[in-house]
Amino acid sequence: MFEPTLLVAELNFSALPQQILNGLMFGAIYALVALGYTMVYGVLRLINFAHGEVFMVGAYTALFVSWQMGYFTGAEGLQRASNPGVLILMLLAAMVVCGLLGFVIERFAYRPMRNQPRIASLITAIGVSLLLQYGGALVLPVSPPRSIIEQVNPYEGNLTIPIVPKDQALGVKLEEARQADVAAKAALADAITRAGVGSEFDLPESDEPIRDAALDSRNKLREAEFQYNKTGMSLNIPRGQGIMVLTTILLMAALSWLVLRTKTGREMRAVSHDFDSASLMGVDVNRIVTITFLIGSALAGAGAMMCSTFLGTPLTSFVGVMWGVKAFVAAVLGGIGNITGAVLGGLLIGLAETLVVWAGGSMFKDAIAFVILIVVLLFRPGGIMGSAKVEKV
Amino acid sequence: MKFWGIRLGSIALAVVAALLIGMVAQQVGTTGSRLIALAGLYVTLAVSLNLINGITGQFSIGHAAFYQVGAYTAAFMATQAFAGRPITATYLLMMIGISAVAAGIAGLLIGLPSLRLKGDYLAIVTLGFGEILRIIVQNVQQLGGSYGINVNKANPTELVPMIWLLAMLCIAMCRNLLQTAQGLSFLSVREDEVASGAMGVNVTKTKVTAFVIGSAFAGAAGALLAHNEGFINPQSFGMDVSFIILTMVVLGGTGSITGSVVAALALFTLPELLRDAPAMPLNGIIGTLVGISMLVGVIKLAMDNRSLGREVWSSRVMAGIGIALVVGVAASFLTNMIPALANRTIAAAELRMVIFSAVLIIVMLLRPQGIFGHREFSLAALFGKRLETGVRA
Repeated sequence: MFEPTLLVAELNFSALPQQILNGLMFGAIYALVALGYTMVYGVLRLINFAHGEVFMVGAYTALFVSWQMGYFTGAEGLQRASNPGVLILMLLAAMVVCGLLGFVIERFAYRPMRNQPRIASLITAIGVSLLLQYGGALVLPVSPPRSIIEQVNPYEGNLTIPIVPKDQALGVKLEEARQADVAAKAALADAITRAGVGSEFDLPESDEPIRDAALDSRNKLREAEFQYNKTGMSLNIPRGQGIMVLTTILLMAALSWLVLRTKTGREMRAVSHDFDSASLMGVDVNRIVTITFLIGSALAGAGAMMCSTFLGTPLTSFVGVMWGVKAFVAAVLGGIGNITGAVLGGLLIGLAETLVVWAGGSMFKDAIAFVILIVVLLFRPGGIMGSAKVEKV
Repeated sequence: MKFWGIRLGSIALAVVAALLIGMVAQQVGTTGSRLIALAGLYVTLAVSLNLINGITGQFSIGHAAFYQVGAYTAAFMATQAFAGRPITATYLLMMIGISAVAAGIAGLLIGLPSLRLKGDYLAIVTLGFGEILRIIVQNVQQLGGSYGINVNKANPTELVPMIWLLAMLCIAMCRNLLQTAQGLSFLSVREDEVASGAMGVNVTKTKVTAFVIGSAFAGAAGALLAHNEGFINPQSFGMDVSFIILTMVVLGGTGSITGSVVAALALFTLPELLRDAPAMPLNGIIGTLVGISMLVGVIKLAMDNRSLGREVWSSRVMAGIGIALVVGVAASFLTNMIPALANRTIAAAELRMVIFSAVLIIVMLLRPQGIFGHREFSLAALFGKRLETGVRA
């Protein structure tokens, strides 16, 4: 049954800035994965359906490296070492493994198909994606018992930035309610010992008012907490996710330097502009395609490592499907083939998802990306930053 | 006179064949008859997707969505509007009609806007539509949410012939369409949209017609599925079902009706045979996969090198088989060296999707046009006669 949950009065606007921030932090990862799609599409005009599975392999690589470094499930005596070195090692390992996987996929599945019709290579891509998903399901552990986030991440706690101070009058009320609750609980515990029964539900009838009072005070405390939390505004940034966003920005800066300032980058842009002319002008097209796959897949690996370490996504061999599809939507939204557009699209998709959850539609979280995709394709097929090309006959 | 003779004769033959299949189904017990019914449904799905994908060239990979629309329409009608009605042949026919209309309308709704899109984009929109539909159905309580709907099962003696009649109707419809002038416009849209538009073909109308007919057949199959299984839930219409149907079409040869039918039957039977097979050692499976991919690689290299003489060609292939054997055995030994993977066995049924995806990649690499290509089975060709009149696909 559709409940009218989208009533404006029910929305908690004081939580909005926090939600927007969360959305942008999620979006940074989508952007990182979307870059891989957009770069590959830029040079080859091919949707690399296996990109989400590259992401999945990256997450598992990070997990296995953390296991190798001693953060294995059940190693109870292990100190939670605040060691950023392990994180860097995990990041590098995930990037290298994903880069190599991307290279292998391109060399053996996509390159032989380059002279075939586009549909044939699209179907090969779907085949590679399915093979990695279901082949992975045969050998990879499904949701290892304790996710890496609890074990490896040395950056705990939140960075709190207050914007609007909380209502002090309500704070006083909350404190009063808390004290009343403590008193009522003590009275209840007292009554339980006095009657010599196991739980509060076994109390004799004469003591029922005490139980009701305790229940009542608990409800009042919750209400007071709710009212107090609704006032004021502050931003909480989990420190791990802050590191994640910083790393993402660094990687994107490195990418834009590579694309805009180096010879390889210029060749990449040339191939993206016109594949055949670039090869006539002496650009080694195969080398550029290989480099593009290496870089795009390595970025997906970095995103996967950070996502599994700082966001704690449960791992299965199908984890890449949703991430991949949403990152693809981000790439299309920004204008596929356009690097700035992919970043923008990623941030927007992250934002849209958290806002849908905030507005009370958490069950439609996975659908919103597709809705955005269809709307974008229908009204602006070129995406935000891209321009629709006119087909020449 | 001859025309009508052949027409009526073939209709009578189809009915007799369907009744024969029904009689066979009666002999082989409940499980067997269910499988025969499902095989017929997959034939319908593959042939109807072939009309969209292969004959009209519109790359749709969300065929399970229309299947779902049909199945849920039938289930909803059966539990709400016609609850308690006995399931007779007339009742089933009515269900088929209603579901086909519902799925056809869904196809129209998807087809009209997505005609602005081509190739990859259309594929993604159809995929996205399927996912949105699944998520919505999962969250609507009247449709059973993620639990699904129970439907009264139909009597197999009526259901199985009806399923196969539907399959034959679908085949006949597609085949006859290709013999007419209207059918030619479908083919011309596939070959070149711009050129066929210039020659006066109404491209939009042709595409929408293909979409609506294809989805209506999928919807009719869905209605029969609901009454065959007695239970439907959103999970049975996921992306993997769409991909399985797509694999059938591509494997058989996009555009070939014969190919779709043969591939649907083969790919449906294969996993069922695997179901009873004993568990297999993991290292053997990995060795086989690696060996096959090596072999495919060598054959692909030999195929691409057209200048090779026949002898060199066959010696290369022989060498490839040798290399594949060695590498496969080496891979299986290497797998056993990894402690986590050593001596594991995998139930054969879990290999279903792995085999599907491997077959998809191999067929695309070695024979991108599919096994049958654009060719069709015909009695005339079988007996060495040449068709003098009529349009050949």
